[in-house]
Amino acid sequence: MNDGAGRMRLIGAVFVLLSAAIVYQMIRIQNSEHSRQLVEMFARTYNQQVRIILPERGNIYDRWGNLLAGNKEVYEVGIAPPQVANPETVARDLAAVLDVDYYDTLRKAESFRKEGNERYELIKDFVPADKIRQLEQKLAEYENAEKPKKGAPPSLAGVYWKAHLIRSYPENELAANVLGFYNFLDRWNGRGMLGLEEQYNNLLAGNKQQVVLPLNPTEIQEIPEIPPGASLITSLDRDIQAAMERIIDQAVKENGAESGTLVVMDPKTGEILAMATTPHFNPNEYWRYDEIFPVGSYFNRAISQLYEPGSVFKVLTMAAAIDAGAVQPETPFVDVGAIEVGGIWIYNWDRGAWGPQDMVGCMQHSLNVCLAWVAQELGPTQFYKYLQDFGIGRYTGIDLAGEQVYPLSLPGDSNWYPVNLGTNSFGQGVATTPIQMITAIAAMANEGKMMAPHVVKAYIQDGVQYTVNPRVIRQVVKPETARTITEMLAVSLENEASNALVEGYRVAGKTGTAEIPGPGGYTNMTNASFVGWGPVDDPRFIVYVWLEKPTSSPWGSVVAAPVFSQAVEELVVLMKIPPDEVRQQLASP
Amino acid sequence: MNQRIIQAYRQAPWRVQLQWIGLFLLILVAGMLIAGVYLYVSGRAAETGARIKALEVEREGLAIRIADMRTQLALLNSSQVMLERAEKLGFRPVEREDLVYLPAAGVSGREVVFLAPPPTSVMRENKLLRPAYTQSLWDLFYQTAYQYLNTRGGQGQ
Repeated sequence: MNDGAGRMRLIGAVFVLLSAAIVYQMIRIQNSEHSRQLVEMFARTYNQQVRIILPERGNIYDRWGNLLAGNKEVYEVGIAPPQVANPETVARDLAAVLDVDYYDTLRKAESFRKEGNERYELIKDFVPADKIRQLEQKLAEYENAEKPKKGAPPSLAGVYWKAHLIRSYPENELAANVLGFYNFLDRWNGRGMLGLEEQYNNLLAGNKQQVVLPLNPTEIQEIPEIPPGASLITSLDRDIQAAMERIIDQAVKENGAESGTLVVMDPKTGEILAMATTPHFNPNEYWRYDEIFPVGSYFNRAISQLYEPGSVFKVLTMAAAIDAGAVQPETPFVDVGAIEVGGIWIYNWDRGAWGPQDMVGCMQHSLNVCLAWVAQELGPTQFYKYLQDFGIGRYTGIDLAGEQVYPLSLPGDSNWYPVNLGTNSFGQGVATTPIQMITAIAAMANEGKMMAPHVVKAYIQDGVQYTVNPRVIRQVVKPETARTITEMLAVSLENEASNALVEGYRVAGKTGTAEIPGPGGYTNMTNASFVGWGPVDDPRFIVYVWLEKPTSSPWGSVVAAPVFSQAVEELVVLMKIPPDEVRQQLASP
Repeated sequence: MNQRIIQAYRQAPWRVQLQWIGLFLLILVAGMLIAGVYLYVSGRAAETGARIKALEVEREGLAIRIADMRTQLALLNSSQVMLERAEKLGFRPVEREDLVYLPAAGVSGREVVFLAPPPTSVMRENKLLRPAYTQSLWDLFYQTAYQYLNTRGGQGQ
């Protein structure tokens, strides 16, 4: 009996000790550092959700509110394997609608049954909305269908789709070279590339935010309202842009040119009304970039491609000389067909001697010899000071990514020779972009004031529209000089009965033909240009045309001047500019 | 004598038991009432929370749809599409010679678009949830007291 009681006490003691050990272990585990971390991890994983909210990318509009870059709804489609009721239906329907591999989808749909996979499986991203409507239709069909007597009913249970936005350019190729593009296929790290998209990427993108949201519905927490990225209202006019693109595309085709550039600017504000370059591409298919722009070519030639501008540069030389008082429009010059500058002989474009001329004649016949003489009269110090004031060799600061500049060689530089004074005077030995040229020459159409070129006219941020005010770079020549140059160039066009003239509208302008330098000197290929503005008494536009390597004719007067005329014909209609006669009648009381 | 007085005021044991049971039941009922109220409030809060979440999801969806619709509208009104539609309807692009200009007093021409109001000095606060739903009791007391004191101070000046 006593033995039995002793055994019972022993067993009891063992059980008490075991229980105490279990309690001790429970307390120890619950209070350990690892346990605390585990609890925290579970709290993080299951009690709250970490979400990254990407704000809607800002829109880009033209000056009248037409959308040039917006956002489009697409879907991400995925499978939650544990919830899949009928893997065959899921695989069959997704393969048919989304054009994905049937076997791969079936493997994912069956992965919970076969491998215990509980992870969400992505099937396809960037699915258009109409495909989702098809899936919704199938879903509704299956819900309303009668259950089969044998086997699992068809079901899309476990298939999920979630909408998100991608960049879309509703005008397709229109103004693509100004807009740039957004690499939307990189959903989380996409960024604007080139043009406005790159220049204003931070503003357009807005601030993405990471928020921690409790999954417990009793913990009410407001999802912070992430404001969309800022929207841009550009100075572009969609209709003018479309017309200019059509004109330059046609000109490139007709003249067999390698590329074409046509820029229209408001000389009084520096606003770019249109910037058309050929070739161009559709930013909705930005992955085809390399096909359109192989290595070494330029996305937006108007701001990125440096070239010797040729005789359009004479406008700057003549403006500098008249402003400094070195010459007057009536100053006589006898052209003997050649002039020696720095020990090198310079000839006219036709190697001819044009005899007695005044400065208007020099511009009208585009005489290199005369302009080299004018530059000598002005002197290198003054000449290069004016060129620098005109912004040659400097960035214009246009608000587009990718602007290029080539430094201007100045007296004293190792790469400057005395002959440069002569060659630079007619646009040789100097490299510029069309935007530099139009910005500098636009001063002639704006009382000598050079305006900063810009594309963004206003931007909308947090529901408020901020206007970008025009900025004067500098008064580069006196107002009377600008008027004189304008008059000289209008007269020279009229005297020449130029192809650039537009009936009913007085315009001023200058042609340019520059041979393209190659490894062994200048080649037979040319850059044909024309710059012109009007109406002369109240300039509303300045147009710069550049055709690269035209094959129909090398001359700017033959290939570029008619393009200017065509552009102005359309511009006066689209900008509602009445003919000079009508305008003067309307202005008179 | 003393012992007798104590005995006179002493409750019968069954009465004491009854009082304890009554007290226990009172506490139990009060506890259940509190638990019931808590459950009711929690249930309502959870339901409201779930509705808020659903509405937020709906709001996100609507924002996406609005952006998409805006782009679809732009597609339908794009330069190329409009040109094709106009041509189908028998229109042709206007030419310089077709235009007749007439003086129109007071017409300043087409204005550049304003898609949002210009900046003003006062910006309104635009919160979805009112502070009453998120602030603690302490915040409420503190804020009310602060406002009260400030108002009193303002009146004195």
